[in-house]
Amino acid sequence: MNVDNVKSQMRKGMLEYCILLLLHREPSYASDIIQNLKEAKLIVVEGTLYPLLTRLKNDDLLSYEWVESTQGPPRKYYTLTQKGEEFLTGLETAWDELSATVNHLRTKLISNKNEKDTDC
Amino acid sequence: MKKTLTVNLGGTVYHIDEDAYVLLDNYLNNLRYHFRKEAGADEIVRDMENRISELFNEYIREGIQVITIEQVEAVIARMGKPEELNTEGEEERTEKETEEPAYGSVKRLFRNPDDRILGGVVSGLAAYFGCDPTPLRILLLVAGFILLSFGGFFPLMLAYIILWIIVPLARTATEKLQMQGKPINMENIGKTVTDGFEREGEKERSAEPRSLLARFFDGLVQVAGFIIKFVLVLLAICCIPALMLGLIIAFALFMAATGILASTPAILYYALPEIDWNLLGTAPVSVIGLSICALLVVGIPIWGFLQLLLQSFKVWRPMSTGVKITLILLWLFAVAIGTFFLFQLPFLIDSMYWA
Repeated sequence: MNVDNVKSQMRKGMLEYCILLLLHREPSYASDIIQNLKEAKLIVVEGTLYPLLTRLKNDDLLSYEWVESTQGPPRKYYTLTQKGEEFLTGLETAWDELSATVNHLRTKLISNKNEKDTDC
Repeated sequence: MKKTLTVNLGGTVYHIDEDAYVLLDNYLNNLRYHFRKEAGADEIVRDMENRISELFNEYIREGIQVITIEQVEAVIARMGKPEELNTEGEEERTEKETEEPAYGSVKRLFRNPDDRILGGVVSGLAAYFGCDPTPLRILLLVAGFILLSFGGFFPLMLAYIILWIIVPLARTATEKLQMQGKPINMENIGKTVTDGFEREGEKERSAEPRSLLARFFDGLVQVAGFIIKFVLVLLAICCIPALMLGLIIAFALFMAATGILASTPAILYYALPEIDWNLLGTAPVSVIGLSICALLVVGIPIWGFLQLLLQSFKVWRPMSTGVKITLILLWLFAVAIGTFFLFQLPFLIDSMYWA
């Protein structure tokens, strides 16, 4: 059990949700998603994204269409399907609950800590 | 100067160095192997190919004309090695895979071609026993010097030469993995090939590729190998008519032998009346045993010679070490047992005295 391991597990759990969020905002192709995820430090190696996208597509959460590009070959633009949107809504409530729980615990701990500090 | 290849990657054409191509091809194959159990594995790899193509395109726009191995390495580092791409639930699976006694992970004795001074025998032995070759070499050298003073140097040298001849060289990546007793799977093979490249790279970078001694011995070995091959080929050419004749004679003899064998008892009985044939009845095991031993004692060297001859012409595949050792042991065994049986035959000894 080390910190990096837990961190990467946390990130991994978030990855699908974040991809769906990004695609909810606008249809995009893999390299755009990579760019965004890298900025958010959610992925380290780019290869992780591709199996995930394919899996989401196979589960009918995503669909894609080929779009001509000005520089190079046509690109796969992914969009959320109806099922994907529903899935995202489900995840959003889960995330709200999760963040509420974590925040609740953290505020409790922080207030405890403050109390302790004031006790001393 | 380097040879370059033209590849079509994701619909764009790139010029790529040969070594860079091998590395990239290998990487893509490893990816294919890694995702083989996943639905849509082809699609994943194709998408990744497209991404790699895009990254190459960035290099091209920077003004690079040929993709080199450094760029491929950078791209692989960016995309991630197959073992870094473990996604949900896969980790347990891959861990289980490594725990399983991997298929075909038998350790075999090979000569190591990547790290050798003479024939790679000691290096191969070191790999087999999982230790460093250098201490083993020093040990052997010290043993050699000690034995030199006792006059036992020659057997040691002979042992080395015999090992050199009978132990095969690890040529393929699979054999190299077997030499180290590592499981044979695509990822390991990939690693071996990549390692080979890294080592090649190091060699190119260092000014003195190998020690002068090693190169001198390399030359010596090549000359010796050439001479041996030359002599063998010469011998074979001389032997071809004889061999043909021999085959015809052998066939005729075989036919005759069948006939004789069928009538042996009668012929022997009439040809050698002075032998007390009743003894044969008392020692049938000795007679049969002696016949088998004689067949082995004569047959194995003939087989060995034939093997050597046809092997040098690449007609027969080289014998495995196990077969060689078994045959040698069988021959020695046959000689010993045969001698024993020979003295078990009282009538033969009698007839010798009689003659």
